Amino acid sequence: MEEKQKYQYWMRRIPGIGNKKLKKLVEYCGSAKEVYGLSRGQLEKVPGISAKDAEAICAGRRSFDIEKEAEKFAEEEISMITIEEADFPKRLTYLSDCPYALFYKGQLPPEDERTAAIVGARMCSSYGRAVALELGERLADCKAAVVSGMAAGIDSFGHWGAIKGGGRTYAVLGCGTDICYPRGGRELYGKIQINGGLLSEYLPGTPPAAAQFPARNRLISGLSDVIILVEAKQKSGSLITADFALEQGKEIYAVPGRLDDALSKGCNELIRQGSGIVTSIEELLLELGFLPREKEEKDKITKKSLEKEELLVYSCFDLHPRNLEELVKLTKIPVSVLADLLVRLQTKGLIEEYFKNNYRKK
Amino acid sequence: MYSNITTAIVCGLKSVCIQVEADVSDGMPVFEMVGFLASEVKEARERVRTALHNCGYKIPAKRITINLSPADVRKSGSGFDLPIAIAVLAALGEIEAGALERVLVLGEISLNGKIQPIHGVLPVVAKAKETGMRRCIIPYGNQAEAELIPGIELWAAEDLKEIVSYLKGRTYQRKRPLLEKSGHTCVPEPDFSEINGQRTVRRACEVAVAGMHNFLMIGPPGSGKTMIARRIPGILPPMAEEEQLEVSEIYSICGMLPQNGGLMKQRPFRTPHHTISPNGLSGGGALPRPGEISLAHKGVLFLDELPEYKKSTLEILRQPMEDKEITLVRQSGTYRYPSDFMLVVAMNPCKCGYYPDRNRCSCKDTEIARYLGRVSKPLLDRIDICAEAPLMRYEELTQKEANESSESIRRRVMAALERQRYRFKGHPIRYNSQILSKDMERYCRLNCTQQKYMKEIYQKMKLSARGYYKILKTARTIADLEDSDLIRDRHLNEAVCYRMQDKKYWE
Repeated sequence: MEEKQKYQYWMRRIPGIGNKKLKKLVEYCGSAKEVYGLSRGQLEKVPGISAKDAEAICAGRRSFDIEKEAEKFAEEEISMITIEEADFPKRLTYLSDCPYALFYKGQLPPEDERTAAIVGARMCSSYGRAVALELGERLADCKAAVVSGMAAGIDSFGHWGAIKGGGRTYAVLGCGTDICYPRGGRELYGKIQINGGLLSEYLPGTPPAAAQFPARNRLISGLSDVIILVEAKQKSGSLITADFALEQGKEIYAVPGRLDDALSKGCNELIRQGSGIVTSIEELLLELGFLPREKEEKDKITKKSLEKEELLVYSCFDLHPRNLEELVKLTKIPVSVLADLLVRLQTKGLIEEYFKNNYRKK
Repeated sequence: MYSNITTAIVCGLKSVCIQVEADVSDGMPVFEMVGFLASEVKEARERVRTALHNCGYKIPAKRITINLSPADVRKSGSGFDLPIAIAVLAALGEIEAGALERVLVLGEISLNGKIQPIHGVLPVVAKAKETGMRRCIIPYGNQAEAELIPGIELWAAEDLKEIVSYLKGRTYQRKRPLLEKSGHTCVPEPDFSEINGQRTVRRACEVAVAGMHNFLMIGPPGSGKTMIARRIPGILPPMAEEEQLEVSEIYSICGMLPQNGGLMKQRPFRTPHHTISPNGLSGGGALPRPGEISLAHKGVLFLDELPEYKKSTLEILRQPMEDKEITLVRQSGTYRYPSDFMLVVAMNPCKCGYYPDRNRCSCKDTEIARYLGRVSKPLLDRIDICAEAPLMRYEELTQKEANESSESIRRRVMAALERQRYRFKGHPIRYNSQILSKDMERYCRLNCTQQKYMKEIYQKMKLSARGYYKILKTARTIADLEDSDLIRDRHLNEAVCYRMQDKKYWE
């Protein structure tokens, strides 16, 4: 750990001193090391710092063993960057309450990398899952990174899509970066670290808490050039992200849903209020100026290898999942034959059974 | 004077003949009963004494001793009243001993001498015939039931005096049973033609029945799982005469034979509520009565809302499902009840019931996994076929087009079962579902390409060894339904489609 970082880490850890005050201190003094050197009287002269704050800073100085803590921090294998550094993500510095420090595992998004946030419901439908995966994959194709919150559902599938497409992806967490939350996302957690980075403004070891999630949403939108909402109920955390994006002047796109889809109420509402609408992923990428790559090829090859009846069944699959009963109705093929065809498509790796007799495109 | 008369009690499905001895001798005037008696049999003393008195018979001030032998069998049930009363009358010289030779007597009497019907008459009468009795004296209320056993003379009487008059030489005239039995008054069974849509489950059902595979339905509330289950007995082949008798005996013991007195002609359909106790399912009590699994013998045991059943209750099912009978050991002896049933279970996909419809279901993935994980795994291991019953749309509910009837499904099922009967001739098993893993190679042979294909499926779908065998057995049944000796690729594929739910939750 560098010398100056030790002081930065100390300053970040002073209880009761928030991002705004830290920023003022740094603006006034120049660096954390300078702040460390100030006397109490001098501290009180800093604009925006009250006597109480100065007291807290002095107390922090007394109780905090800089060397020891720095060693401890180094063991965590977590990197830290503060607004004092030049390579602190520029996009975040425009935020009114830009975090003083970011902790991360993996890498930070480079300044010239285009980023898109994919956010949405945790309990998403199969359709939402398909859209998020596809979006992530196509963005990766265009060399754009996917930013999201690693929550279950849409967030995770956005990340997965990017990873599947061989692209980069960043997760902003609502807890310490050393904590994998949700716990079920262990695999994804590892993958994101390799194919991008895990970011958090919270100190390592901070457990997830409800109040921290809306705050991290501002970082998700802050880090992204565009926010894409896939599925959101009327009251959804994703809408908070959209609000932040609006404040920050980012572009917002929403994937529309049917009128009676509770899971799309939030998205449809956003569209009504004037956000962008995703009618096709192709068009979205064009509109954003991301260069899409040809993708038709892959589809053509798979279709050639199918028999006529298999093709008939396969063509029933779009972004929506289908259950056996619906397919019987759509194709008018008897169940016994259809069951055979479905298993054949499964073994060919084109569809998957995600719940008993419910299938979706892979 | 001494007299001796025969009666019988039901122990498990067997009946045991009991000798009722009465002795009237000089001494202190008491009425004493010995012979390992349950309390309801001890009470017979009061009933008999009062009934005899009320029928006008004088009980002399002598020592009356009743002995029920063999003394090591616990005597229970209310059928001892009548034999005791008659034995006393014979000991008093009211009836000649010769009239009671090779006669089996059973029945309960009330204080005014009326004879009340009792449970378990059918197996007792069968036993009487078997041991060479020439006549049975039974309560009038049990006449229809007893008449199901042909070839033995029956005297059905309404009260004590009537019996005595017959025994004294009056000729017996057969009375019309309380409710004349007729073969055609059975309530018609519900039919598959009443079910719209749900083609997947219909087909899965057919396959399950055709190989006697146990069957699981997953679906939201109101999708018709129970409706379908109710119709399964109707596509099982009709019961043979012996089977009807076997089932009727169980129902007779429980006093559950149909009111019209006929045999159990329809296959039983039992659907115990999920609050049932382990004893309720297996059969229980100091003298065990048949439980639900025995009442479902030769029929269908349907467990709705499977995750709601207590684990300890479901564990009970394991051994009877393998052995097709349950052995209950009690202090009073060992009881065997048959339990050869087809298990049909139904459950919701998650707590709220609507997964995978995310518009209605907001259960977390972990909650869904937990809900599905609540089901006893050893039980699921015994279920070969699983299908989803999705929610139906309005148009389907109200569609007018005719659906296939149970009768036509039953024809295909019977043909498939006939093939199995032929295949397993001389073997201890009867159905494809009973094929053991060591016999797979013999009955479910696959060719080279199929083996390679199954290997691929095995790896891709992450099957377990058990899951693999289940698929083979199901494929065998599907091939039988198609009247094919060979298992073809499409049979395998269809079987894969009906395999049990995801590994992720259950294996």
